[in-house]
Amino acid sequence: MGKKWISIIASLCLASVFAILCLPAEAYAHGAEIEYAFNTSIEIVAKYDSGEPMSGAQVTVYAPSDPATPWLTGVCDDEGRFAFTPDASDAGTWDVQVRLAGHGDIVHIPIGEDTVAAGGSSGYSVLQIVLMSICVIWGLIGTALYVSRRRA
Amino acid sequence: MRKRILVPVITVLLVAGIALAGCSGESGSNGGGAEATGTLQFHANGEDFVREGFVSKDGWSIAFDHVYINLEGITAYQTDPPYDPHSTGTIDSDIEVGLDGSHTIDLAAGDADADPILVGTADNVETGHYNAISWEMTKAASGSAAGYSLVMIGTAEKDGQAIDFTVSIEEEYGYSCGEYVGDERKGIVEDGGTADVEMTFHFDHIFGDAAVALDDELNTGAPGFDPFAAIAEEGVIDDDMSSLQTKLAADDYQILADTLFTLGHVGEGHCHCE
Repeated sequence: MGKKWISIIASLCLASVFAILCLPAEAYAHGAEIEYAFNTSIEIVAKYDSGEPMSGAQVTVYAPSDPATPWLTGVCDDEGRFAFTPDASDAGTWDVQVRLAGHGDIVHIPIGEDTVAAGGSSGYSVLQIVLMSICVIWGLIGTALYVSRRRA
Repeated sequence: MRKRILVPVITVLLVAGIALAGCSGESGSNGGGAEATGTLQFHANGEDFVREGFVSKDGWSIAFDHVYINLEGITAYQTDPPYDPHSTGTIDSDIEVGLDGSHTIDLAAGDADADPILVGTADNVETGHYNAISWEMTKAASGSAAGYSLVMIGTAEKDGQAIDFTVSIEEEYGYSCGEYVGDERKGIVEDGGTADVEMTFHFDHIFGDAAVALDDELNTGAPGFDPFAAIAEEGVIDDDMSSLQTKLAADDYQILADTLFTLGHVGEGHCHCE
């Protein structure tokens, strides 16, 4: 294998990986936001129109992946507060319904929706990760061959 | 020579593969195939207040014989982000399903355990979550509620006094509502399945509810039945908004007029009314 080709291969592989890491796609630009949102609990405060807290109100949380089935149920505290940590892998609109004695409302909380298409916490698809890994390995092999050839 | 060609070919393929993998995520298409559809039912519900009767905030036992309501322009929507009735009366949606025509129904039909009234059904609707609904209460052109959008017929009793009432509303209202709030989640149509949306009407907003604290916002904002009882003639009330405006005290009439804007709900969820 010629020195020139090994150099080109290594350069292309490194350039490819670098290019992927630097792609201006929205998914990557929002990666930090997703992690922040996923690692943060959501706290709601339920009040009547009068401002009085809905203490003891029934809370039902629905996840985006199964909007028909309650993901979590609970009760507001004396100040009408309820906190939960959504599933980091389930991006989309989380719905929280609060009811007490004939009064009720539902709030819709978007969480990490901009990154749903990218999927996963890293923002890369499985195929992308596999190809990137092969590329890096290919580059390392090429570099190793280049170095060994120079020594020989 | 072959080895020399093989190496750049593999490299180019890898780079092309990565590029294609990066592009593939943008389409998000589900591919071809038949469109998934289901059935969406539209219900109207006067709740137990209408079916079973109740005691008003001022102690009148109220039983309804009929509660005719005329509904028109009934439309369910898939909204994303979900429609918020607190912010605007305009529902923004690309997917909507409507019922044609005008529908006069009796919310008091059936016994105390009767189901909510089925107003209509739409078949072959797109699957998804119909999380908003709008409708109009308009004057019926004919039938039991002809000339009115709402007619309440029943009896109120208190301390041995009985009053037969027919209260008719000729005003018209347009309600825009978000998602149903209640025991179950409604409006989620799955492929081949049936879901329903509900127009709920809170008559305790008009008469109040003795089961709730008197200082509760529900009762403080409701006229109750006493103002109606005060205008009964020989145990009978038969009035519409026009005559009520002349007979009721100005404050009572205004409270009644205001509460009618809050009549329409989606379960316990509120609506925007114009």
